Amino acid sequence: MAIITDIAFYVGTVLFVAAALAAQRFVRSGKPAMLDIAERLLFMGMACLIVSFILRWAHWGRVPLTTMTDSLGLFAVLSGLVVVTVLRRREVRSLLYVYLPPLAAICLFAAATAHRNLHTEPKELSGILLIIHVGLALLAYALFFVASMTSFVYLLQSRRLKRRSVAAFGHGAPSLEELDRLLFRLVGYGYPLFVATLTLGLVWAWVDRDLLGHYWWLAPKVILSYVMAGFFAITFHMRRVGRLRGPKLATLVFLGFTVLILAYMVLSVMNLRWHYFWSAGA
Amino acid sequence: MNLVVAGLSHHTSPLELRERLAFSNAEIPSALLCLHKRLGDAGVVILSTCNRVEIYAHHAMEPDEFRKEIRLFLSESHSVPEEEFRDALYEYENREAVGHLFRVASSLDSMVVGEVQILGQVHDAYIAAQAEQTADKVIHALFQKAFTVAKSVRTRTTIGEGKVSISSVAVDLAQSIFQTLSGKTVMVIGSGEMAELTLKSLVSRGVRSVLIVNRNPERARALAEPYRGEPIAFEDLNDHLHRAEIVISATAAPRFILHPANFHHALKLRARQPMFVIDIAVPRDVDPAVGEIDNVYLYNIDDLEQVVAENLELRRREIDRGMELVEYSVNQFMQWKDVLVAEPTFVSMSEELNTIRERELERTLSALPDLTETQRQEVAALTKRIVKSILQRSVVEIKHEIGHHDPNTVLHLVKRFFGLKDAT
Repeated sequence: MAIITDIAFYVGTVLFVAAALAAQRFVRSGKPAMLDIAERLLFMGMACLIVSFILRWAHWGRVPLTTMTDSLGLFAVLSGLVVVTVLRRREVRSLLYVYLPPLAAICLFAAATAHRNLHTEPKELSGILLIIHVGLALLAYALFFVASMTSFVYLLQSRRLKRRSVAAFGHGAPSLEELDRLLFRLVGYGYPLFVATLTLGLVWAWVDRDLLGHYWWLAPKVILSYVMAGFFAITFHMRRVGRLRGPKLATLVFLGFTVLILAYMVLSVMNLRWHYFWSAGA
Repeated sequence: MNLVVAGLSHHTSPLELRERLAFSNAEIPSALLCLHKRLGDAGVVILSTCNRVEIYAHHAMEPDEFRKEIRLFLSESHSVPEEEFRDALYEYENREAVGHLFRVASSLDSMVVGEVQILGQVHDAYIAAQAEQTADKVIHALFQKAFTVAKSVRTRTTIGEGKVSISSVAVDLAQSIFQTLSGKTVMVIGSGEMAELTLKSLVSRGVRSVLIVNRNPERARALAEPYRGEPIAFEDLNDHLHRAEIVISATAAPRFILHPANFHHALKLRARQPMFVIDIAVPRDVDPAVGEIDNVYLYNIDDLEQVVAENLELRRREIDRGMELVEYSVNQFMQWKDVLVAEPTFVSMSEELNTIRERELERTLSALPDLTETQRQEVAALTKRIVKSILQRSVVEIKHEIGHHDPNTVLHLVKRFFGLKDAT
């Protein structure tokens, strides 16, 4: 089973990379058929990673979410799902070539640590609340990730129009109006999920408070999460009432997600999480 | 028989001359019939557009005689002395003529490279010749191939991409900002040909409502009427600016009439939804600082002209790729045409071989009187299969040789080999 898990994971990674390359071919050739190929490869890549995930779950009897390989793999699958859902609107199909390269990079990053992590027993998450908390967090990040990529395209398009440059940003790039609408929806779905994630985390921390210690709520990651929740709440509200739109909104969404991810990475590297997902005994 | 194109275009003659030698749609049928007769029942097509007057002919005349007839025809049809257009007239034969038509149909020879109208005009010219039955087999094949080449050039190069008129560039830009123009509102401030052209393009793409702002209320009403638009007094401009997604300004005002403050106010009222502002007035109507405001995209006449120039440059860069496709197709067509010349030879070959077959069959059957009817038929079928097989192999080889050597030499040898008529 371990070999099948490995093969599924590595093949999934290769398919993500192939999908990204096919999408880049679209940029050069302008042939929509390349987007169809990229989308099919993405589907196959996602299926492979899901198979690998399920096999690991079945093998160890616990949800594999605690290693970098596992969480990045699941994040790539969830982001892929968001991308596929977004692409149901034909007007934004060309965005595939913006979404796929970073997803392929994430898969490659996960694959770089896979030889170590895929054969390690995943640590046990203490309780169903924590499992849902981590799953929802990854889905919310996936939505914010796609939103940040969309905002990046918005900024480039807007800049091109402001500079009166004829060099189009790829073939059939969506209009600003469409990008703004998509951005609003992605943040609109991502924000409630993020809040639900934090709420579940709070409940779990309250129930299992002995696990995290008395001052768990002072952990930098917890504080940062609530700051970001506040930030996205303000951004979303301002956009909803029409006081924030266009390049400013796109910049805030892009920076918001980038800061969130960079800060989590810095905290992880500095081991300042005070935020353990797994039980003390594991 | 020769395939020839003779005529004049924007490359060789001024508009005044082309105008005088052009054929109207009503004149073309009679001109086709007249030319068909003058050129000895030749296959003829007349292509007459604002940029060119060209006659495509597949004829059996001597080149000098043909040239003389064409000049006379043009001169007599339009009462223009020959001396006035003789120098502007060009003539291409066979391979060059085929290449020329393919370039024309593909819009590689157009004044605005990549424009789409020319293909329709070539198509109309061909349809007119078809209707008057002046297009022979070669002309049919030539034009059908030209349409295929033109489509191929358009789909396999980016020669048709990027708009090359101010109004269409404005519409393209609007569609980069707004997903669809249906349901959008356009405000036109002032008047002018360019403003009206742009407005027409936008309305044809589904713009819902039109607001016309003019200092003269009567003029505003008159301009608004064709579009069922709303006339607005110039003094009320600021109160209505927020209603428009697209603003076209074309007044003769000596100073700016729209300032950043106007747009800050409008954006506030329209929840910061983007606005596309086209300032085609000279001197400009809109303060350039407006272009710095978020969600306002300002283009003046120079910006639009620059986009047009860049698009044209991008198209020109694609000409070489288009030419390669044309060259390849010319080779294909010329091969087909050369083989066409051999068709009578193939018919003669078939007749000759069948004559031999029948003669030998008769001799053999008379020497074998005991054969049953079924056996006689079997022998006859056998001889037919042998002749068919020899013919098939020979035709393939001859076609191949024609493609690589002078067709006349190849055909001469074939005729001698098979003992066909007119072999010397």
